[in-house]
Amino acid sequence: MLILEFLVKRIAQGLLIVFITSLIIFTLLRVVPGDPVRLIVGGMAPPDVVEKVATKMGLRDPIIVQYGRYMRGLLQGDLGQSYLRPRSGMIAAGGQYVDPTKSDMAPVTDLILERLPFTLQLGGMALLFALLISFPVGIAGGLHQHRWQNALAFGMQSLFVSIPNFWLAIVLILFLSVKLKLLPALGYQGFSYVILPAVVLAVEIAPFIIRTLTTSLGEVMQAPFIDEARVRGLSRRRIVYSHALRNAAVPLVNLLGIQLSTLIGGVLVIEYIFDYPGLGNLTVVSVVGRDFPVIQGIAITTSAVFVFINIIVDLVAYLIDPRVEI
Amino acid sequence: MDLSLILEIDDLTVGATTPAAAPILDRISFRLSTSEIFGVYGESGAGKTVLSRALANWLPESLEYRAGRVAFAGHDILGTGAREVRIGRDIAYIGSKPQSSLDPTVPVGVQIAEKLHSVRPEWNGRECRDRVMQLLDEVRIPSTKERYWDYPSKFSGGMMQRAMIVDAICAEPAVLIADNVTQPLDVTIAAQIVALLHDLCTRHKMATIYLSSSLPTLGQFGDRTAVLYQGRFVEQQAFAELLASPQSDYTRKAIASVPRMWETAEGPLARRQAQGEAPLMKVENVHRTYRARKRGTFNTYSNVQAVRGVTLDIMPRENFGIVGESGCGKSTLTRLLAWLETPDSGSIVLNGTSLGALSSRDLIRKRNEFQLLLQDPYNALPPRTTVGRMIEESLLIRGSFKRADLRKRVIAAMAEVGLAAELYDQLPNALSTGERQRISIARALILDPKLLILDETLSALDQREQGRLIELFSKLQDKNDLTYVFISHDLAMVRKVCTRIAVMYLGEMVEIADNRDLFFDPQHPYTKALLSAAPTLEEKPFDASDFLLEGEPPSPIDIPAGCSFASRCPKAFGRCRVETPRLVEHSPGRLAACHLLDGDEAQAAA
Amino acid sequence: MTATTVIAAEPEPRSARVRSVNRRILAAAWGMSSFKIGFFVFIALLLASAIYPEVSSVSATKMVVKDKFLAPVYLGDKWTWDHLLGTDQLGRDMLMRSLIGLRYSLLVGIVTVLLIFIIGCGLGLFAGFKGKWWDTIIMRITDAQLSIPMIILAITILGVSRPTVPTIIIVLALSGWPLYARVARSAAVAERGKEYVRGLRVLGAGDWRILLLFAAPNILPPIAFVAVLDVARMMIFEAILGFLGLGIQPPTPSFGSIIADSRKYLLNAWWIGTIPGIFLAVALTSINLMGSALEKARNRIYGGL
Repeated sequence: MLILEFLVKRIAQGLLIVFITSLIIFTLLRVVPGDPVRLIVGGMAPPDVVEKVATKMGLRDPIIVQYGRYMRGLLQGDLGQSYLRPRSGMIAAGGQYVDPTKSDMAPVTDLILERLPFTLQLGGMALLFALLISFPVGIAGGLHQHRWQNALAFGMQSLFVSIPNFWLAIVLILFLSVKLKLLPALGYQGFSYVILPAVVLAVEIAPFIIRTLTTSLGEVMQAPFIDEARVRGLSRRRIVYSHALRNAAVPLVNLLGIQLSTLIGGVLVIEYIFDYPGLGNLTVVSVVGRDFPVIQGIAITTSAVFVFINIIVDLVAYLIDPRVEI
Repeated sequence: MDLSLILEIDDLTVGATTPAAAPILDRISFRLSTSEIFGVYGESGAGKTVLSRALANWLPESLEYRAGRVAFAGHDILGTGAREVRIGRDIAYIGSKPQSSLDPTVPVGVQIAEKLHSVRPEWNGRECRDRVMQLLDEVRIPSTKERYWDYPSKFSGGMMQRAMIVDAICAEPAVLIADNVTQPLDVTIAAQIVALLHDLCTRHKMATIYLSSSLPTLGQFGDRTAVLYQGRFVEQQAFAELLASPQSDYTRKAIASVPRMWETAEGPLARRQAQGEAPLMKVENVHRTYRARKRGTFNTYSNVQAVRGVTLDIMPRENFGIVGESGCGKSTLTRLLAWLETPDSGSIVLNGTSLGALSSRDLIRKRNEFQLLLQDPYNALPPRTTVGRMIEESLLIRGSFKRADLRKRVIAAMAEVGLAAELYDQLPNALSTGERQRISIARALILDPKLLILDETLSALDQREQGRLIELFSKLQDKNDLTYVFISHDLAMVRKVCTRIAVMYLGEMVEIADNRDLFFDPQHPYTKALLSAAPTLEEKPFDASDFLLEGEPPSPIDIPAGCSFASRCPKAFGRCRVETPRLVEHSPGRLAACHLLDGDEAQAAA
Repeated sequence: MTATTVIAAEPEPRSARVRSVNRRILAAAWGMSSFKIGFFVFIALLLASAIYPEVSSVSATKMVVKDKFLAPVYLGDKWTWDHLLGTDQLGRDMLMRSLIGLRYSLLVGIVTVLLIFIIGCGLGLFAGFKGKWWDTIIMRITDAQLSIPMIILAITILGVSRPTVPTIIIVLALSGWPLYARVARSAAVAERGKEYVRGLRVLGAGDWRILLLFAAPNILPPIAFVAVLDVARMMIFEAILGFLGLGIQPPTPSFGSIIADSRKYLLNAWWIGTIPGIFLAVALTSINLMGSALEKARNRIYGGL
């Protein structure tokens, strides 16, 4: 019953958040300079052609009208159609005029659904790698506050946080892929293409996990109930693994919810560098091409994913620690 | 009784790991036989906690054993015998912080069973669970089956201490170490726990070391008692002899410092209400209910009735006391009296003006007349502000002043409360509790108030400092025509200073009477219970065991019909559970809300 | 004579205890060698990027075709003393380009964090102290803003409009404030419940007076210490934007664009991509060392760790 109330409330709140997000992104796209029509019709087209196409596409209506139209579509699950990509999946070459009002343009929903699994796969692997790196280091650092394990965790976290992801990506591509030919890097032709980008992303996320884990575990180990567990007769293994870690997990789970946007942001850049066919790559290409419906669709999708994962995060935090307010 | 030796302590010396430091425990030696209860008295800082930890081979990292031997049934637990003796099974420990003793993320019962299973692996999970359930029942935790699965945060302090007792005794230890177990609890609850523990120790034949900073509590055990002072046992003898003929000066002083309430019949003189005199503050039928969201429901709230219809007249120049245990609503009442919160219904009239009717601008001006001194002098002062700046703030809120003028007034106020003028430019970090409390007083006093509300103001202070402040208060009263309202749980303090006292239970006043009447002839059963449970070494003017309360107060969310005390009252009868008694003046100046008194009157009339 | 020495000796321990929490945090951080290393490296880089381009006659943008692909000194077949760290594919001096890049990177990082701090903490304090409707509205906007990854927001705005230094700063600041708003709000809510706030209310002080004069000086410094870490994060974002072609536009050099351009020459002229990478990494490490040391010191002082 408590969980049901929580879900209903949070989903309602989530819808509100997604709605505000869509409003922000929709307005931003239309108030900042940069006319998509100019790109669609090509630089050479005379201004009256631009105006004609723009009016036909509805881009000259007041923003509120455009937004209403967009929302109506959204409620029916329709995110609109791409300005640039035809159904066949080929990008219209610059200057070549494809009429974006015709129905042969790819629906944004399809474009996103096609790419989403790739991105989720990459994100999931990256998270897994990050946890594999940071758990041993973070736990050791948290348990031994004044020993070398803590210094190791501190050093590793400072180092990782200081490596720009794109730079690491280039270096890894150069050495592991081009020189040593250990792993494939560019494009996507199978699972092995995920490993390198996932490693780069993992290095980006790991320092946050290490830091939270060392701090929160260190704090929990000072708690009176951990101290008293010893005199109650529990073994050290039991104290650490079934009580201290459990309590230290709550801040960690919350952190994952908040750092999710870093992860998504990282995915975007990494996909672009590795030419990985996910949502991030699509975003960069769409932004450069001013493909408004695709950008909007992606923003709404990521914010929905963000909201959804944060609901799960809070639920997990509650299941671990019943004192957490949900 | 089996009198075989179970614990031998020889020359136990413990100190910090840095060798230069003086030892914290110095050559402690004693013997303990099975089923024996051994009391250890020591004030805070005497080394009680270190002693209790040292006996369980559980020293913190900063301390080490320097010498001595702790032998359990012949095995030296610090050396060769460590394998034979299992801490948690053979030697168990109960501490003074039940609320933080268990993992907050795991149900209480589960954790106790987990402990039991890990120290007694020969018992399977089911047996452990059944045993824990049965013991929870034995320590009188109601509805054991549900409580087993509740999380620690759902337990009150008293209930949690019971659970920790179960945790300690479930593995059938031969030695139990109880370190100040009643310290955080209310007096009536503490009395229950002491009685329970005493009973369990004899029934389960555990040798018990009971360490406490309260001599009266140790008196309830009555056996051999040691006095710990600066890490040494200054004496060891049976409790009665200890009281009758203390061997050391320290013990004598300790006995003398236990507060006495019934020693003299004298007390602060009641200031009789003169004919036609108007009360300074008139509290009329004040209610305050909080809405707490009910978890697991959609937008439904439960009502926490914190203050339920309080009516009081506070006369000019009197010391009015309000006593009650935690959860009785006195903090809420304090906030209402200080007008930090507004009552849902009812009114508070100060000097003829109803506070509710004032605009916020007028209220700031009116606030000059009544001021609140907060309980905790460490948190009540804004951080990183100099002493002078803090006191000035009272005036600066009300307008701007010339620098020099301001400084002069502040220093005058500081002098009045006994603070040196040099402190003006200093931060209060290095000041003692008493000095900080004086800053609070100066801050209020500079506004020239008529009424001071003191919320547990004196309870954080040691006896000496408390005495000085009481003196200061009475001096200020004579000089400035002050009226005080003391809100406290400390009966001894109230007995010393208050002229008239109100007893609060579950949001209501159950009895209001003059100091002497209340302490020597309490009317309401709750007042009697409260006084019976008060830790003193004196003969009480009535039989304390008659009023040992059962259970805990009902939740302010579901207050039962009838008298709210009926569920714990040893004298409750049919009418109490149906009809709520009203606070009536049974004899001049003595008000009580109890049906039993009606009966007396009826009998007397008959 | 003895009396005076006693009096003279007295204030010592007292003033030690009087030191405020913030001073203690700073002192604790300063006691860690990692903080000192970070601090000195950072100051050196800051001075180098501020002074060297002003006093040197070498240009960061002048192309000298005959000097292209010069390696750093002693590190290749072709090098000269004129270009200590070599030249790029167009014969531009790498040292100068890296220092100018660092200059912009630091400028964007520091100014952005200042803006974020002001906007985020301002809104957060306001929401937390005011409560009720203000709180709900501000926090819902924060949530929405938080749910769009900042990089998407940034590249959307910058990709669609033309990137300049002020727009980059504004965009990064706009997308970075929500976390600060959250932290400041929860700190303000916690502060509002404290005893001393009640004490001031009893004296008659109003909300704003308490918030500005007493609460904010408590809430803000701990947040500011950790904000140091975000300078590094913002510098990375600036580089990412440059890498995507959405940062400071050529010919002005920036780390991101230099590294992006260098990709083609990585195998034959490794230094073009590596040298700005090293500059960036050293700058980031120095900031992170300071930031983590401050954070650690803060946790130690507050949490007793």
